[in-house]
Amino acid sequence: MLWYILRRLGGAVLVLFLISLFTYAIFFLLSPDPAYQICGKTCSPERIAQIHTTLGLDQPFWVQYRDFMVGIFGGRTFGTGANAVACDVPCLGFSFQTNQQVTEMVASRFPVSATLAVGAAVLWLLFGVVGGLIAALKEGRFWDRAVMVSALAGISVPNYFIALLLQYVIIVQLQWLPFPQQVDFGDDPLRWFQTYILPWSVLAFAYAAMYSRIVRTNVIDTLGQNFMRTARAKGLHPSTIISRHALRPALTPVVTLFGMDFAGLLGGALITETVFGLNGIGKLTADSITKNDQPVIMAVTLLAAVLVVVANIIVDLAYTGLDPRVRVKAS
Amino acid sequence: MSDQTSLKTVGIRLPGSRLLEVDDLTVTFPTSRGDADVVKDISFTVDPGQTIGIVGESGSGKSMTSLAIMGLLPRGGRTTGSVKLNGHELTARSDREMRRVRGERIGMVFQDPLSSLNPYYTVGLQIEETYRAHRGGSRRAARKVALDALQRVRIRDAETRIDHYPHQFSGGMRQRIMIAMAICLEPDLLIADEPTTALDVTVQAQILELLTELQDATGMGMVFITHDLAVVSEIAETVLVMRGGVQIEQGPAEDVFARTTQPYTRALLDAVPRLGDDVATMKEVRP
Repeated sequence: MLWYILRRLGGAVLVLFLISLFTYAIFFLLSPDPAYQICGKTCSPERIAQIHTTLGLDQPFWVQYRDFMVGIFGGRTFGTGANAVACDVPCLGFSFQTNQQVTEMVASRFPVSATLAVGAAVLWLLFGVVGGLIAALKEGRFWDRAVMVSALAGISVPNYFIALLLQYVIIVQLQWLPFPQQVDFGDDPLRWFQTYILPWSVLAFAYAAMYSRIVRTNVIDTLGQNFMRTARAKGLHPSTIISRHALRPALTPVVTLFGMDFAGLLGGALITETVFGLNGIGKLTADSITKNDQPVIMAVTLLAAVLVVVANIIVDLAYTGLDPRVRVKAS
Repeated sequence: MSDQTSLKTVGIRLPGSRLLEVDDLTVTFPTSRGDADVVKDISFTVDPGQTIGIVGESGSGKSMTSLAIMGLLPRGGRTTGSVKLNGHELTARSDREMRRVRGERIGMVFQDPLSSLNPYYTVGLQIEETYRAHRGGSRRAARKVALDALQRVRIRDAETRIDHYPHQFSGGMRQRIMIAMAICLEPDLLIADEPTTALDVTVQAQILELLTELQDATGMGMVFITHDLAVVSEIAETVLVMRGGVQIEQGPAEDVFARTTQPYTRALLDAVPRLGDDVATMKEVRP
């Protein structure tokens, strides 16, 4: 088992290394020269060259990549002398457009995205699992149809449409909620909740729609298994049969999906954050793309990749606990 | 009186009654072209310590007969006729009432032991839950019963094996576990639905031996469903041959096998392949 974990971690390190390499290569090769952006339109060649030196852009690719990696683990300093700018560990670069360390920018936005992701996850798991279970148990009847029609709506209507619609109806027209304003939970719990409830719902709706369909299919599959007939033949109570014998086999595959989706959301919900004006990773990404702030784009891309890889490992390890058949193979 | 007897007394035999009496049992499923009888007017009885073998090809209705006795027909299935256990009518009982009978009074063993066990739980837990569903009590008491049941079906090293998962056992061992689960509450009747079909021949023989042994020890009646005539001749005193949901014939095993007058039974017997048979000359069962 320990060997299995070590092997998985080793694989993950390799994957992360390759991701960083390719991401860096893409930004190195494809992006316009950031020096022009920093310097503006009336710019002398000397100034461009100076910026290149400061940022290390005059170096060949491998040196730049090495400096970037060294920066993550050991920190680095951009420029020399009086113009030197320190970038602390883990240094993901320096955004000269905002004059901030990229790591700080990402770190300050991350809690917002995390709050968004956790809240949405609670809602979508609740509605996805309960909805899917009800639909499966009432297969072909009213509640099945009702859940599946809502699910179809959740899957087919784009996120930004629901976000704008909810914002317009609930905040602008009905004024049930105040306009979103980012506050800390500790400062004003009510306001905090009022701010997040709509974005949570918007995100959860789409995911819950997908999950309810998957849970429904899995539960129906499981109900048709031979071991369900055995459970009934043993005289077990229907609630035991469902909760013990049907739900666990039906929900175990959902864990894989959930790990990926949750990690994806932690990496920022671009549209939802933008619509509701929440300063999370998604909004940071959107802003950075608009301004072509490359170090930031690079950092959020890398962050998203790291989150997915880490989630993958966690899911795999969780799986060995959840499915005894995997456990034996792993050990 | 027998229809409304309290559930607790299902275990007590009414005077003059048999262990299991199936009378004109008919199972009907609705289809798009009207109702279809998949089992029609089947009648038989089983006494304690006795075994009836129900024989037939796939789709002959033998499994539906056993599910109808348990009240476990797939959705839409309807039962008419009468099924009496110890003289108490079982048909038309609610699911809640039937739950008390399943597992407690009638144990059931299915064909494919791997898919019939839940892969997510240890075999111990799956036996324990049968006990706890009917008798309640602590996990500890249940574990003792499960351990005892595993030992009775000759699982070696049962103290360790009780915490293993179904996929860690061989096919024959899994079927022993299914049997342990079915007999752990010492039911009056065991229904075995093709219990040896998925197993190879040597393991088949061991399972048959085990079932006979358990029957001798507990005096339970047995309904043994199979398409394998060799198996049924070994274990059953009475044989019921079914085809297309109806009874072709019924009688003592030796009579049916030695002196059948029914062309269908004859054809079934002739269809048993023997070493040296030319594949091309094997006849189809179509009297």
